[in-house]
Amino acid sequence: MDFVQNFPFFSIILSMFSGIISSVLPKRAAKWVNTVMIILVGIFSFILLFYMIGRGNSYTYMMGHFPAPWGNEIRVGVLEAGMALFFCIIMILSLFGGRKKLDEELEESKHSLYYILADLMLSSLLALVYTNDLFTAYVFVEINTIAACGLIMIRRNGRTIEAAVRYMIMSLLGSGMLLMGICMLYDLTGHLLMSNIHEQVSALAVSGEYHVPLLVTIALMSVGLAIKSALFPFHAWLPDAYGYSTVSSAAILSSLVSKGYIFLLIKIIYRVIGIDVFDGSRIIDMLFAFGLMGMIFGSLSAIKENDVRRMIAYSSVAQIGYIYMGIGMGTQAGMEASVFHILTHAATKSLLFIAAIGLTDVSGGSRKFIDLTGAAYRNRWAGVAFAVGSLSMVGVPLFSGFISKLLFAQAAVQNHVKMLPALIVLGISTVLNAIYFMKTVIRIYTPVEGTGSGEGVTFKNMKIYVVTLVCFIILNVFLGVSSQPVVNLIGQGLAMFS
Amino acid sequence: MQYMILSVFFPVLAGVYLLIKKERGNRKYLLVSTGAFLVITAILVVLALCLGREGMFTLFSLTERLPILFKIDEISVVFSVLAVLIFLCAGFFSFEYMKQEKWEKKYYGFYLIILGVLLALCFAGNLITFYLFFELLTLSSFPLVLHERSKEAVMSGLKYLFYSLCGAYMALFGLYFVERYGNTLTFSAGGVISDQAVSNHMGVLLLVAFLMIMGFSVKAGMFPMHAWLPSAHPVAPAPASAVLSAVIVKAGVLAIVRVVYFVFGASFLRGSWVQTVWLTLSLFTVFMGSLLAYREPVLKKRLAYSTVSQISYILFGLAVMEREAFTGSMLHVLAHGLIKAALFLCAGAIIFKTGKTRVEELRGIGKEMPVLMICYTFVSLGLIGIPPTGGFISKWYLAKGALTSAIPVFYWLGPVILLVSALLTAGYLLPVTIQGFFPGEDYDYGALQKKEPSFFMIFPVLILTILSVVIGLLPEGVIGYLSQIIEKIV
Amino acid sequence: MGANLIANYGEAVAMVLFVIGFMNLLLQKNLIKKIIGLNIMDSAVYLFLAEKGYINGRTVPIVVNGIQDVETYINPIPSGLVLTGIVVSVSVSALMLSLTIRLYKRYQTLDLDEISIRLRKEGL
Repeated sequence: MDFVQNFPFFSIILSMFSGIISSVLPKRAAKWVNTVMIILVGIFSFILLFYMIGRGNSYTYMMGHFPAPWGNEIRVGVLEAGMALFFCIIMILSLFGGRKKLDEELEESKHSLYYILADLMLSSLLALVYTNDLFTAYVFVEINTIAACGLIMIRRNGRTIEAAVRYMIMSLLGSGMLLMGICMLYDLTGHLLMSNIHEQVSALAVSGEYHVPLLVTIALMSVGLAIKSALFPFHAWLPDAYGYSTVSSAAILSSLVSKGYIFLLIKIIYRVIGIDVFDGSRIIDMLFAFGLMGMIFGSLSAIKENDVRRMIAYSSVAQIGYIYMGIGMGTQAGMEASVFHILTHAATKSLLFIAAIGLTDVSGGSRKFIDLTGAAYRNRWAGVAFAVGSLSMVGVPLFSGFISKLLFAQAAVQNHVKMLPALIVLGISTVLNAIYFMKTVIRIYTPVEGTGSGEGVTFKNMKIYVVTLVCFIILNVFLGVSSQPVVNLIGQGLAMFS
Repeated sequence: MQYMILSVFFPVLAGVYLLIKKERGNRKYLLVSTGAFLVITAILVVLALCLGREGMFTLFSLTERLPILFKIDEISVVFSVLAVLIFLCAGFFSFEYMKQEKWEKKYYGFYLIILGVLLALCFAGNLITFYLFFELLTLSSFPLVLHERSKEAVMSGLKYLFYSLCGAYMALFGLYFVERYGNTLTFSAGGVISDQAVSNHMGVLLLVAFLMIMGFSVKAGMFPMHAWLPSAHPVAPAPASAVLSAVIVKAGVLAIVRVVYFVFGASFLRGSWVQTVWLTLSLFTVFMGSLLAYREPVLKKRLAYSTVSQISYILFGLAVMEREAFTGSMLHVLAHGLIKAALFLCAGAIIFKTGKTRVEELRGIGKEMPVLMICYTFVSLGLIGIPPTGGFISKWYLAKGALTSAIPVFYWLGPVILLVSALLTAGYLLPVTIQGFFPGEDYDYGALQKKEPSFFMIFPVLILTILSVVIGLLPEGVIGYLSQIIEKIV
Repeated sequence: MGANLIANYGEAVAMVLFVIGFMNLLLQKNLIKKIIGLNIMDSAVYLFLAEKGYINGRTVPIVVNGIQDVETYINPIPSGLVLTGIVVSVSVSALMLSLTIRLYKRYQTLDLDEISIRLRKEGL
């Protein structure tokens, strides 16, 4: 066994232990531990990714001394390693981008707590990505929820606590359903490891036994994860949670937490249920339909919104709709598009959140549109970044959003039944996106009479912030311009799933 | 080959440079650098057209099957020459005109970027490249519409954006299908759709072709997607209106030429329902545009409605899908470009000097600025189609093409409507001249002042007028040049 | 169907309890009642697991007089899962309760909708 194969395990343990150690460290040390840990995990994942590309097939890593049907396992393929790397990049950029704001908004005693939560968040995300065991996945889903709840309410005012409570309630409903689904699946198959369940489920599907319980199980798990990742009818908690928490939290929540759950769902579809069985169930059409509705209603809510942070949050509902639409197509191409959109959305939405905070900061802290007039002149970097993020979300070529839409459409053309609704809704949603994002961009670039643009924020007093924004923009353009290798990797990774 | 890319990137980079440069209040420096950038771009384009004609140039690939690709053919030459000419003239005009406007630096910055994007559109070698720059054109021309920042400008700007994005999405929708059913995405004369797909998926492909035509015709202002044009063009500063109306709408025409003749192929669409609907819509737009222009009291808006009508002449010629009609369309692209730019610049000069915007206020204007109004009269005659101007030749070919085609009903209906519309054109353009030069008995000659605009404003108008007449007098060169490619595509 | 239901009455009860808990968590206005609903829901899942793991006539998998035949013991994994689940649900309940206390201190009410209305009035 190559030494590199230990890296997933190292990553999880490293992030978890840095969280534990941070609890006794002072604030500055906790910050550094966090930064170094994320970079290390990122490097691990990077090496692992290259190792996996060279290796060409996936491997399982035994945790403890018990072999397959009993022990716990980690399973690694190209997609897992790539996802872990991507999560690390977004996480560190989000933390850097929001650091200044974090220092202002948090009480002194809470700082190290914040980094502990971030460490835990990363470790649970990594575990969700790597694990091959459903019950382990459940446990880390809960850890993820708790960490996310902490990230929301760490900035203490009435609104965030309420948002955290609402988030917790919806999340608990979701994880309750997921747990029930897992238990029923265990009951049906007698296994907890994904690969073993997969064999049994295939056998059940062939024999036609337990058809209804199997369907119920799939529904429970899909709906549970859909609630947790804020698919359209279950999105009520989202705008408050993303809109009022501190900006790093909002960026991490929107781009990583919900994506972790979606990734778990994709894993369940491929590795547990099997794409064929899943394709044959009605559940997939339901996800497709909810995805389409989310694309439209999320955008409509965003148009009505008068608060820029909440608008971006509602836009997430629409974007998550896109991802579920891709999953709902039930084809390899649709799934590739969804995974690519996970990357796109993560890169773009955190950029938007962080750019938005720069804009609101120079507008007297107000988030109302009227006060944002001309904000782009007061903080040029944030203005440009927000414009780039908006263009990407609208789907202008050269940015990652366009490639996502292209992939979705290519996938849709292959599916004769779902082609028309998908393309039409894609079109409507593009136009709706354009309305609210362009409205905002015009607003921030409308000059205000009287105030000079000279006294705005300069590069010197916010180096880290600007560098973060530039990194995000580069990431966006990179995904938009040279998408083919990424898409190929995703395809390779999905092929390794089965 | 590299010249081609250079001529695209140079103006874009120059524009970005102007945008991010610190405002120092040094107007002269701004004008000189803009002028220099425009001239250099023109030289680069000429170089590209002379030296870069062979082969293709792949910039990079979006995905494996979607390269960003440039190549130059005869159609590119026609459109790029037109674009550069008008941008030079209108740019020159702006140096004087923009004195009264705010945010000049931003104006010139976006002006240069638009030129670059337009050139990229002309040189685009495949559908995805075309789409990319089509979107960028919308986004970069958007600030020009918004320039005044008034409520009206913002609303028209949003309308423009909304319509354009809808249109572009319809086009993108088609792109997905073309990618699936086409042999290649690279434009090639006669079409790229595979024969097998044509026989198996006839209905879908026709629908897709129709959607793409409709989507791209948003930019060209064809009914029913024309509503943005009369509100967006006039709110921009006059030279920007000239560019919008004379060149940027032509991007829509270019798009349709590419889609119909280089992607689907004329033989595929000829005789289908798509052609019939397209002909109907374009003729309707010709008539409706003229009628609305006739009823419009504000000069710039009148000119914008006139654009709606005139562009549909071009689209009608394309829809006939015959050689002579196609020649007529291409000639009209040139003629209308030059004429409409001149007309808008005239309107701009009038606004600049007198502040008058409505047609009935313009009594006696010919006495005040005779040279300008003589130019106005000449180009108006051209647009109406009175020989020997450019407009006459193009309309002659359009009508002849329609008459010789075998399309039922339209072969006679087309020329009739073109004629009626020409009469209406005379009705809405000439009153300005007549009232201007012959204000009537009760005109107070005592209050008459010479208000002739300065050299900066007259000169571009003069150049455009002369060119539009020259095209009418010596059309053989252009026709001969165009015939090479028309052989291949129609 | 009927026979199956009677044979698996434990699971059936678990399902009913699950739905009761779920609905309470979803629909109750009072935060404490919501948390009670959460606990009912989780307990229902554990009941389900325990019921599934139990085999009639066998004993707990604790080694007393040396290792006996496999047939002696029930399946230990569900019990393990239940234990893990309990840990998770305890921590989640604790978190929810602490959040509730905070909200109560601030707004003197346990009704989530009322808190929302007040937040809107505060203009936060």
